[in-house]
Amino acid sequence: MNQSTMPERREGPVDPMPQSPRPEEGGGPRRQETGSPEKENLMKRMRKVDPKQAERYRQRTGE
Amino acid sequence: MRLFGIETEYGITRDDVAEVDPVVESMELVRAHLEASFKRRWDYAGEDPHEDARGFRVSGLQQDREEDEFATRDAHRPFSFHDMKSDLVLPNGARFYNDHTHPEYSTPECRTLKDLVAQDRAGERVLLRAAQRRNKVLGGDHVRLYKNNTDFHGHSYGCHDNYLVARSIPFPNLVAGLVPFLVSRQVIAGAGKVGTEAQESGYVPGRYQLSQRADFMEAELGVDTMHNRPILNTRDEPHADREKYRRLHLIIGDANMCEYATALKVGTTQLVLDLIERGAAPVCELDHPVTAVKQLSRDPDLKTVVTLRDGRKLSALDIQELFCESASRIFSGTDEEIDWLLREWSEALSLLSQDRSRLVGKLDWVTKQWLLESFMREEQIGWDDPWLASLDLEYHNVHPEQGLYLGLEAEGKAWRMTTDEAIEEAMWNGPTDTRGGLRGLCVQRFPDQIKSMQWERIQFTGGIRSRSLDMGDLFDPKEVRECAHIFQVASSPSDALAAWSHRKDRAI
Repeated sequence: MNQSTMPERREGPVDPMPQSPRPEEGGGPRRQETGSPEKENLMKRMRKVDPKQAERYRQRTGE
Repeated sequence: MRLFGIETEYGITRDDVAEVDPVVESMELVRAHLEASFKRRWDYAGEDPHEDARGFRVSGLQQDREEDEFATRDAHRPFSFHDMKSDLVLPNGARFYNDHTHPEYSTPECRTLKDLVAQDRAGERVLLRAAQRRNKVLGGDHVRLYKNNTDFHGHSYGCHDNYLVARSIPFPNLVAGLVPFLVSRQVIAGAGKVGTEAQESGYVPGRYQLSQRADFMEAELGVDTMHNRPILNTRDEPHADREKYRRLHLIIGDANMCEYATALKVGTTQLVLDLIERGAAPVCELDHPVTAVKQLSRDPDLKTVVTLRDGRKLSALDIQELFCESASRIFSGTDEEIDWLLREWSEALSLLSQDRSRLVGKLDWVTKQWLLESFMREEQIGWDDPWLASLDLEYHNVHPEQGLYLGLEAEGKAWRMTTDEAIEEAMWNGPTDTRGGLRGLCVQRFPDQIKSMQWERIQFTGGIRSRSLDMGDLFDPKEVRECAHIFQVASSPSDALAAWSHRKDRAI
């Protein structure tokens, strides 16, 4: 399970930081369209959430 | 880039019992990570929350009384305080333990934003897998974990960002520069929240706000972290050579699901620390910071202005732009990561006032607001509907089939700095250029020869020579790699420590 080596970080030219994807490029945040399949999936997931979930949820104060 | 890390306390609950015992649940969750039985190895000698960075030691904290009450209440349990804490150090150098009834994951120290984001997300996976193993024992998918900061009943738990800072910076300079920055930072780093609440008092459903933690900020400065929480925490636990370093331990931040928000939160804060170090931070001290942090949080339209001590009235975006412009002027061209950060910081601020929809999947409060408003339109409900608080909570669920943010991410609508492979790698290996990775390497190589560990020291068992690896001033990446190489090839900790000591003697 454990990997026993500590791999070296790649040297030389650094990986470019990811650019912010533009909406037209896909794969990134974009203006959401009503009725898109993705949104329907998310809406389904949201409808499955028990409306009383937050009411039952209690924690002790942390730091 | 300086060293930084993030500690996240997770909310934990079970849906198969009426009364959840958070002490037992957190402890069992942490221990579910283990294949073998728990061994106590964490050394608390370096921890003293009573030391104040302003140069004094407080005699008591409000949280001490609560700790005593918890200890009394938990005294009947068949395990000791240390057993209950169940402190683990993972192969990536992270710390995973039960802190005040919340499972907490502290990333190893990181030097780049890419490493930090990967290590932070590795924490979500570590927690998730521990929950899966715990659920096997429970016989169902019962344990739920939330990477959030409130329970909607007046209780909050934290997500702390930490930065190694030179002690030579006068503390008042840190206060002057950081407080206005942190009060306004929520426009990029807030996790979003339905309704309002206050410490230990009722929840009021309704209006949407930027931040989970703003409601719980009660002081400008202070060392209490469970009550009377400060915007700038003055706890002085450097976990490093005290003569040279401070650890800035910020408790105001929200736990972020969006990788972009995590990167901006930590990246911009370290740039502001760099500005303060150079004496180049903009002067914009707030008249009433504690009031301001709440006022700004409760206006998602971002129109609210707050008054500065010099009489100016600025919005959160105005304040952030002042810091962003100063940082751009001074640090532009330093390296690729800083250039990315400056560009994205500026663009995010600009989009917040022009086209917020392009920040869905990048900033949590914007993403959550979009999700909730879409749902409200579909279901014809208003902000005061209790369903929205539940949806707010589920946004932070770390289960990939339940969490709303993770659902969005699975649809490819969340901006990623990591890949799934990078997160998996981060679960098993820490950064190669920090002592965090070195700590993890020792856990991997010599798990049975470690007597105790803390952030800045590892004590090994056996041997007749020096038995401690002191990392209180081990921050130079080249030195870290050299030390790691020695521990990688040595046949025992004693041999490694002898070789490391010899190498240091030659360097003098």
